[in-house]
Amino acid sequence: MARPTATARRPVPEDAPVTGTVAAPLPPRPKLSRLERRKSLTGWAFLLPASLLILWLSFWPMIQAAILSLQTGRGTRLSFAEPLWSNYQRLLEDETFRLTLQNTFIYLVIQVPLMLIMALVLANLLNNPNLRFKSMWRTAIFLPSAVGLVSYALVFRTMFANDGLVNDLLVGVGILDSPVNWLGQTGTARFVLVLGLLWRWTGYNMIFYLAALQTIDRSTIEAAKIDGASSAKAFWYVTVPQLKPMILLTAIMSTNGTLQLFDESYALTAGGPANTSMTISHYLYQVSFRNSPNFGYASAISYVILIIVAALAVVQLKVGDKRD
Amino acid sequence: MRTSARKLVALGAVLPLGLALVACSGGSDGGSGGGGGGGGGAEGDNTLTVWAWDPAFNIYALEEAEKVYQQENPDFTLDIQEVPWEDVQTRLTTLAQSQQTGELPDIFLMQNNAFQKNVLNYPDLFSDLEGSDVDFSEFPESVVAYSTVDDVHYGVPFDNGTAVTALRTDVLEQAGYTVDDFTDITWDEFITLGEDVLAKTGQPLLSGQAGSADLPVMMLQSAGASLFDEEGNPTIVDNEALTAAIDTYQRLVESGVLVEVNTWDEYINTLVNSTVAATVNGVWILGSIQSAEDQAGKWAITNVPSLDGVDGATNYTANGGSSWAISSNADVELAQDFLATTFAGSSEFYDTILPGAGALANWIPASESDVYSEPQEFFGGDAIYSKVVGYAEEVPSNNTGAYYYEGRDAVSVAITNIMNGTDPEAALAEAQSTVEFAMGG
Amino acid sequence: MQKVPGYVFLAFAAVASVFPLYFMVVSATNTSNEVLASKLLPGTHLLENFQTLVGAQPLGTALWYSAIIAVGTTVLALAVTSIAGYGFEVFHTKAKDRFMALLLLAIMIPFAATMIPLFRMFADLGLVNSWIAVVLPAISTPFLVLLFRQASRSFPHEVIEAARIDGLKELQIFLRIYLPTMRPTFAAAAVITFMTAWNNFLWPKVVLVNNDVQTLPMLLTNIQAGYVTDYGMLMLAVLIASLPAMVVFLALQKSFAEGITGAIK
Repeated sequence: MARPTATARRPVPEDAPVTGTVAAPLPPRPKLSRLERRKSLTGWAFLLPASLLILWLSFWPMIQAAILSLQTGRGTRLSFAEPLWSNYQRLLEDETFRLTLQNTFIYLVIQVPLMLIMALVLANLLNNPNLRFKSMWRTAIFLPSAVGLVSYALVFRTMFANDGLVNDLLVGVGILDSPVNWLGQTGTARFVLVLGLLWRWTGYNMIFYLAALQTIDRSTIEAAKIDGASSAKAFWYVTVPQLKPMILLTAIMSTNGTLQLFDESYALTAGGPANTSMTISHYLYQVSFRNSPNFGYASAISYVILIIVAALAVVQLKVGDKRD
Repeated sequence: MRTSARKLVALGAVLPLGLALVACSGGSDGGSGGGGGGGGGAEGDNTLTVWAWDPAFNIYALEEAEKVYQQENPDFTLDIQEVPWEDVQTRLTTLAQSQQTGELPDIFLMQNNAFQKNVLNYPDLFSDLEGSDVDFSEFPESVVAYSTVDDVHYGVPFDNGTAVTALRTDVLEQAGYTVDDFTDITWDEFITLGEDVLAKTGQPLLSGQAGSADLPVMMLQSAGASLFDEEGNPTIVDNEALTAAIDTYQRLVESGVLVEVNTWDEYINTLVNSTVAATVNGVWILGSIQSAEDQAGKWAITNVPSLDGVDGATNYTANGGSSWAISSNADVELAQDFLATTFAGSSEFYDTILPGAGALANWIPASESDVYSEPQEFFGGDAIYSKVVGYAEEVPSNNTGAYYYEGRDAVSVAITNIMNGTDPEAALAEAQSTVEFAMGG
Repeated sequence: MQKVPGYVFLAFAAVASVFPLYFMVVSATNTSNEVLASKLLPGTHLLENFQTLVGAQPLGTALWYSAIIAVGTTVLALAVTSIAGYGFEVFHTKAKDRFMALLLLAIMIPFAATMIPLFRMFADLGLVNSWIAVVLPAISTPFLVLLFRQASRSFPHEVIEAARIDGLKELQIFLRIYLPTMRPTFAAAAVITFMTAWNNFLWPKVVLVNNDVQTLPMLLTNIQAGYVTDYGMLMLAVLIASLPAMVVFLALQKSFAEGITGAIK
C-alpha cells in the first residue's frame, strides 16, 4: 500500500522551480494558429491513454472515498453524517489519531533530512572521478531498495531481537553493558524504524543525486577549489545549489512516502509499544480492517493525509523558490 | 535498436487489444463460478471451496476431512485455498464492503475472536447453521459462544484454544518440584514457586510478548469475566478480574518469573532454546514445543493457575482458536453436511488428525476414542489429549462482540503504560475511553 | 579531497547496506532454530530448505505470476506513460500544464482509502482474480508521466520540426525518431516500475481472491501464517523473492543512472 515507492512519491507539478530552472528555455509560444491547434489536439490524443487510466483508476475511487468520508456507520450500514463533516470533527478528539500523526511527523522530521543528506554525501563521494570500485559501491548501497517489505521487516526484526545479532555484537564489542530492548521501548523502536527506512531508501535517493551530479560541470567545482575553497566548502557552496532542483524533487517524494508510511510500522514494529511507533496509514488500516470496520472515518483520515502532503509540497516549493 | 523500439511499440499497440480479449474471457470465467467456486453455478457439482491458513494444521485437517467425507460421497472434492488469517479478514471486508459476495468461497475459517465482529457488521457474508445436523451441545459452551449471535449458530468450532500450562519437568526437578505442585494452584502460588525455581536454577518460568494482552486476557476469562458486558458495553474500568489480572501480570514481570520479549519469534525461541521452563498458552503451542526434539520426555502439562480473590475464578481458560463458517455464497446443504459429517461427527477424522498434526478436537465425543487416551512420550507418557479436552469443558465463556479488537488493543496499550509506571486505574480509564470513542461516531 | 574519511564512510554505508542481505543469504542455508539464534555462518540446509519450500508452497506458479504481473506492468506502463510524457512536452500548452498538476494529485492519497471503490470497479467488470486487475492500476502513474516529460525536454525540438517537414506523421515521429534515442529513460522507468510491481503487496492479495493466481509476496505471508514457522525456509523464500528485482537493477543500472540524468537535464 503506502510504501514509499517511486510511483507513490509525489513528483513536482509543472510550474515548480525544479523544472523551471533545469529545463532548457522553451521557445516563446505565439497565439495558436490552425495548424498549432491541430497539433495541440494531437497532443491531447497522446495524453489520452495515460490520463484516462489515471482519471478512471485514481480519481474516480478518490471521489468515492471523498463521499465515503462524509458518511458514518459500521460495515455496510452507511448513511450521510449529520453534520456532514462529523468524521473530520471526530478526528480532533481522537487520541490515537493525534499520536500516530505525531509519530509520523517525528519520522518525517528526522528521517527525511538525514536520508537526503546521507544520500547527497554518498553521491558526491561516488561522483569523484578518481574513486575506485565505483560500481561496486553504488551497487552495494542501492541493493536494499530492491528488497520487498516482508523480507526486510523480517530481517530487521530478527537482527534487533533481545538476543539478536545487534545486541550480541554491541555487548560483545563492549559498547553496551547489557542488551537493549530495541523494539520494546518507544525511543528505540522509533529509532529502529528510522534505521530501516534509511537502509531501504538512502541508496534509492543516492541514485537520483548521482544522476543529477553528472549534469553538473565539474569545472565550476575545480574553479572554486582554485579560489581556495576546501572540498567541503566547494560541495556546500557550489555543488549543492546546482542540485537544488533534484533535492527538492527527492524531498517532496520522500515527504509523500513518509506520510503514507505503512509497511514498516505494520511489519517491523507492529506499531508498538503502546502505539507509539504507529503511523497514520497504519492506523487507517486498523480502522478499516482490524477494528470494527469504519470506512467513513478511514476515508476522512486518508483525506487528512492527502491535505498534509499537498500542503507540505506547496511549502517545499515555496521555500525552494525563495532561495533562488 | 530501431527495430527493438518498433517491436516495443507494436507490442504496446497490440497489448490493449489483447487485454480487452482476455478481459472478456476473464469476465465469463468469473461468472461461471471461477471466483468463489461455490456460487449458484457450481451448486450440485460436489465441490466445496475453502479458505484456511496453516498447511501443517488447518489445511492438513481439511484434507483428511475430505477423505473421510469421500467414503460416503466418492465424487466429493475440496478446493482448498491457503489464505493467511489477516488476508481472510481483508478479503471478507473488501467483498462485503463492495457487495461482491459472489466471490466468496463455500466455507472459510475464522478466528474465534473476530467471529462476532464479522457477523454483526457483515451478516451478508454468512449462512447460518440452523437446520444443519451439527449438534452444538457436543461442543464446549464457551467455544460455541464465539460464533453464536442472537442464539443463531454461525460456526462449527475447530481449532482448540484451551489453555494449558506446559512445564519442563527436568528443570522443576532441579528445584525440587513436580507437576503436581503446579496443578490447581493460584497465580500467587505460581509466583512463589516461580521465584524459588528462579533462585535455584536461574531459569524464569514464563516468557511473553511485551505489550501483548494474551496472558492477562486469559486470566480474565479464567474468572468468567470479559472486556465487554452482555450488551457489548466495555467493562474495562471497575472490572475486578481485569484489575487482578493486570496486577498479577505486573508482579510476574517484576519478580522476574516472566521475561518479556518483543516478537512472536522471540517468544517461541525462549521455549525451544530452554530459556524458560514453562509457558501458559493455548494447547496449540504444543506444536512449537514439540519442534525441539531434544526436549522429548522433558515436558508435562497441567491446568492454568487461577486468579486470587476473584469471584468465579477457575483453573481453565482459552486463547485463540478458530471455527468454520459457511458463506452466503455456498452450496449450503453440501457445506452443512460436510461439516456435520466430519468436524462435528467423525471420531475417525479426529483420530487421524490428532497424531498427524497435533490438531485437537473441540468436539467432545472425539475424546472418548483410544487415540486421545494414548500416552504421549514427548510429555513423559501422560495422556495429555484427553486431559485437555476435559479442561475445555470447564472453560468459562467470554463476551467478544463487535469491538473485541478495539478492547484488546486498548488493554494492551494500558498494560504497556502500567509497566512503564502509569497508575493502573488511570491507564484503564484511558483504555475504556479509547474503546468508547472507537464505538461512537 | 579527504580521501580516507570518504572511503571510510563509503565502506561503512556499503557494509551496512549489504550486511542484512548477507544475513538473509546465510539464513537460507540454516535451520529454523539456527536462524532464530542469529547464526552468521553458512550452513548445510539449503537443499533441505528448498525441498520444504517447494513441497509446502506453489513456488513455480507464484514465480510465474509475479513475473507476468511485473513484466506486464512494466511494458504497458512504459508504452502508456512515455507517449503521454512526450505529448505533455512536445505539444506543450498552459492547459496541459494545469492538467498535469491535477494528475499529480492522484499519488497523494493513501491506497487503503481507494481500495474498496477500486475493488468494486474491478468486480463489476468481472476482473477479480485476474492478473489484469493487478496490472491495470499500476500502469499509469503520474510519476512516470512526469519522468518522461522531463526527459523529453532534452530532446531537440529542431529534430521534430525537421521530421515534420519531411512529412512524417506525429505518431511516426514519436515512434521512429524519439523512441530510439530515449533508451536510458526507458531503462530508468523500467527499473522503478518493475521493482514496485514485483514487491506490490496489499492490492494483489485483495483482488486475487482465488489462489489459482498467487504472487511471491503472498506466498511469503502464507509461510508465516502457521503456528509453527520454518525460518530457514522462510529466509530462502525471501531470498528467492528478492533476487529478480535485484537482477533487473543490476542489468539496467548503467542505463538507469543515465535515464534519470536525462530526465533532469
